Amino acid sequence: MKKENNKRGVLMFAHNNTEIDYFRLAVVNALLVQKNLGIKNITVVTDPHSLAQGEKTLGKRLIKKAINNIVVVDKDKDFKARNLRLYKDTSHSVKHLSFYNVNRCDAYDISPYDETLLIDVDYLILSDTLNHCWGHNNELMMNWKYQDIMYERKDPSLARLYDMGITMYWATVVYFRKTEYVESFFNIVKHVRNNPQFYKDLYKWQGTLYRNDYSFSIAAHMMSGFIDKGIPQLPTTLYKSFDTDDIHSAIDENTIIMYLEKPRSPGDFMLTKWAGVDLHIMNKWAINRVSNNLLEFAK
Amino acid sequence: MSTRLTKALEFANYRVTLNNQQAQLKAKTQSLLSYSINGGTFTIDIPLITFCKQLIDDGQTDVVLLDIHNNPIKVDVETFYDEIQSRYFEVTNDYYAEYEKLRKSRKVHKILDLNEKGE
Repeated sequence: MKKENNKRGVLMFAHNNTEIDYFRLAVVNALLVQKNLGIKNITVVTDPHSLAQGEKTLGKRLIKKAINNIVVVDKDKDFKARNLRLYKDTSHSVKHLSFYNVNRCDAYDISPYDETLLIDVDYLILSDTLNHCWGHNNELMMNWKYQDIMYERKDPSLARLYDMGITMYWATVVYFRKTEYVESFFNIVKHVRNNPQFYKDLYKWQGTLYRNDYSFSIAAHMMSGFIDKGIPQLPTTLYKSFDTDDIHSAIDENTIIMYLEKPRSPGDFMLTKWAGVDLHIMNKWAINRVSNNLLEFAK
Repeated sequence: MSTRLTKALEFANYRVTLNNQQAQLKAKTQSLLSYSINGGTFTIDIPLITFCKQLIDDGQTDVVLLDIHNNPIKVDVETFYDEIQSRYFEVTNDYYAEYEKLRKSRKVHKILDLNEKGE
């Protein structure tokens, strides 16, 4: 598709696996971005299979309405087979599936915008808060602080790459401008992606899964002169729900009612109404289940 | 299970839901009390409003303020003051209305604006 020459835009990556329709989530979120941020410049990076699935289930017209620039890339099949992640649709359903996130570090090269908001497809835009980023003095911003929307729940393992390691930044939302500094930052992210074993030994992240949160955190540490928390945070708190949670319903384009798993009682839930604040929803199946409603509200 | 115990558990559930909903409301208010200008971001609070008012009373016009990242941002203090003051009251009035509504909700479904069937 033809891309527009514009200065500010949103970038998302959407590669389906055998169960999760990431492209559908990208379309839903693109419409939410249009509605709540008022941004029309939306680029989605995908692969031929995910796009074909999207065209089949959503139709070309809706996709065109949601996304004005689609970048189609081929998947690295070895990486796809290798990078398996544990996905949960609440504690009741747990599956090992492919997690294709290898090309997120190419965001700097792919983005056609001078100012880019790189967001996960499951970071639902329910407010206009991210508009605070445009024209900001800081050329690169991302969060290390996050808040679980089940306020009683605490998971200290998410604060650092390992217990004694560097602070973990979340690559869920990243604001960047096209500058030399940011280009160097992404070059380091790519270097981590290309040499995971070396950086794993150095920074000692746990497990075998490659996560962008790790590579972005390492780049943040290096680009800050090996100082912790050197990259400024976004002017918004990162709110998260986890894959053990579920969605009860979507009320409108700003409001979602969530089932939140109680901390000391796995499989048992409480309800909360989440309105007017952006939210990272880790349970992808849950978003897909209410995606038709969200599409209706955001259209 | 005895009726008394059932009632106690229902109340516990109500309290957890209410606490979480109040925290959500606070989060929303906090995010709305963020104000960006000239490449910087400020959290609107009482000290900032008071400080700006004092600067205006001292006859200052263009001033440099430190934003949430401690970056120096030059602002026209009168315009800035008007903006943050009006935003502050807009947001806190909404917060008050929603907080009162929550405070008066005595059932989980009422806190969430659902009917008794949860729809």
